[in-house]
Amino acid sequence: MTWPDSPDWLLELQTQFGEMLRTPLDRSGGSLRAPSEAYDARLVASMLPTPSLSGAERLAVYHRQYWFRLLTVLQGLYPLTARLLGYWRFNEFAAAHLGANPPRGFDIEAAGEGFEETLARQLADGDTVVTASGRPVEGAAVLDSARIDAGFHRVTRAPQSEPLRPGPADVARFSSSCLALSPTVALLQERWALCELRASFLDGPSDDAVALGERLPAPRHWLLARHGTQLGLLALEPPEAELLGLLQAHPLEQALGLLEAGASEADRLHLPERAQAWLARSVRLGVWAGFVST
Amino acid sequence: MPRQLARDALGLGLRTRHYRELTEPWPDLDYFEIISENFLSDAQGPRYHLDRVRERYPIVLHGVGLNLLGPALPSNDYLDRVAALAELVDAPFVSDHLCWTGAHGVSHHDLLPVPHVPELVELAAERARHVQQHLGRPFGLENLSSYVEFTASTMTEWDFYAAVVERAGCWFMLDINNIYVSSQNHRFEPSNYLARIDFSRVLQVHIAGHTREPNGTIIDTHDQPVTDAVWQLYAQAFRQHAFPTLLEWDDHIPPLQEALAELRRAEAIRA
Repeated sequence: MTWPDSPDWLLELQTQFGEMLRTPLDRSGGSLRAPSEAYDARLVASMLPTPSLSGAERLAVYHRQYWFRLLTVLQGLYPLTARLLGYWRFNEFAAAHLGANPPRGFDIEAAGEGFEETLARQLADGDTVVTASGRPVEGAAVLDSARIDAGFHRVTRAPQSEPLRPGPADVARFSSSCLALSPTVALLQERWALCELRASFLDGPSDDAVALGERLPAPRHWLLARHGTQLGLLALEPPEAELLGLLQAHPLEQALGLLEAGASEADRLHLPERAQAWLARSVRLGVWAGFVST
Repeated sequence: MPRQLARDALGLGLRTRHYRELTEPWPDLDYFEIISENFLSDAQGPRYHLDRVRERYPIVLHGVGLNLLGPALPSNDYLDRVAALAELVDAPFVSDHLCWTGAHGVSHHDLLPVPHVPELVELAAERARHVQQHLGRPFGLENLSSYVEFTASTMTEWDFYAAVVERAGCWFMLDINNIYVSSQNHRFEPSNYLARIDFSRVLQVHIAGHTREPNGTIIDTHDQPVTDAVWQLYAQAFRQHAFPTLLEWDDHIPPLQEALAELRRAEAIRA
C-alpha cells in the first residue's frame, strides 16, 4: 500500500503557511506581536475575512500559537535559565535557537535540544546580559544555568540503562578504552549556587525572575544521577570531577597521568589511593554505561 | 480484538500534573486517555507512570503528530511506535486529527486546517484507512477547532469530516468543544454539525474549556472548565446516542479532584 501524494496546490499552501509560522514575532513594541501586515499576499488571499477580522489577522492566531507553544516548552526545559534571565530576555535567546533549529519529529521537547550550545555560541563567560528589568547577569552564570538545565532534562528523559559492572576480564580494557557516561547521570559544574537556586523555585507557584547570589569562591561539581524515577545530586571533589571527565576521553592510565600532572605537590601525595576510591565509587554508583574503544 | 469501553464511560486525559495525586485511593474513573507522543520514546519517567495507571484503568491513545494531510508520509517508524504503544496498553482505540501538523521536514506542533474540498476527502480517507489497517484497531479522526476559513472550500466542515470518516471506514472522535469554538469563529449553527454525525460511529467525545480573546476569536485553550454552551451541545449530542466522554485539561490544570468533579458534571447533564 502506498500513500497517495498531496496535490501541488496543497503543498504550496503548506509551504506558505509554514513560512508564516516560522517568521519571528515582532518584539519592537515591548510585547510579542504577530506581524500580520507582512504575511505573504497569496496566503492571505486564500483566507476568508470575517466582518471584524481580516484574513491576515485570523492567520495571526496560528502564528502566535506556534511561537508561544515552543517558547513555553523551552521555558519548561530550561527553568533555571528562564528565571535567571526573566522570560522576556530568555524568549529572545530561545527564539533565535528555534529560528535556526525549527522542530522536527513528533517529540516537541526535542525542540529544546542543543539550546545550551546555541547559547554558548551567542554568549561568552565574560559577557553581561541585561534582563528586561535592567538587572545585569553574568554570561558565565547563564551558560552554567543552561548546562545544568540541559543535564537535568537529559537525565530525566533517559531510558533505563544497565550500568557497567566490570569484572576481572575487563581489567585490560581500562588501559585501552575510554568510558561512556550512563545516560542516567550527568556531571554538573556551577560557579554560583545554581543547583540550590533551581531546587528552591521548581515547585513554587511564582514565575518571577530569580536573583543570582554571590559567585562561589571556587567552582562546585555535582554528580546528577537517576535511580528509577528519583533524581539525586552528589557533591564531587574537584579532582574527582576532573577524573570522571578525563575517563570519558582517555584510557585509565592516561587519565590518571593527566590528573596527576595538574595536581599540586600536596595533592599528588595521596592521589593514587584517592583516584582508586573515586573510580570504585563511580562504578558503584552506576556512572558508566560501558567501554568505548579509543 | 481490542477491549471496549462502556458507551457511557467517563475518562480523563492523563497529565503530568496529576501523577503525584494518582495513588491510593485511586479515583473512581472508567478510563484515561494519553497523548501518544508523550509515550513513544523510551524515556523512563513517562513509562513508569503509564505502567502504574494501565494496571488499573483502560487506556486509549490520542495522537497529535500523525500529520494525516501533510505532504510527507508518516513514517512506518512512527506508525509502528503508535501500534506498539496501543498493543502495550491494549487500547480500545487510537485517535488523531483530521489536519496537517508539519511540512517539508519541519513539525509545527499545531493542528492546522485544510480547505474542505472533495479532492482532499479522497486523500484523507485513503490515508486514514491505511492508518487503521496499520494499527489493527479502531482509529478515530477528530474534528479541529479552527481560526481561519479558506476561500477554496466548497464543502462545509461537517460534510468534509463525515465524508472522510465514511469513505475511510474509520470512526469519529468528536470534539464537542471544537464544534462550538469553530461555530463561533466561523458563524455557523453547531446543531447542523451534530446533525451530520452518525453517532453509532462515534468512538469517543472530547469536552474541554476555551477562552475568548479580546478580538472575539475563541481559542481552544483547554485551560478552564467546560462552558455552559458546550455542555448544552454535549447534552444535545448524547440524546442522539450514548458515547464515552473524555475531559481534556491542558493548561492551568486544577487538582485531580477538581478535574474529576468537572467531568462528573456530564452525568447530571445527560441524565
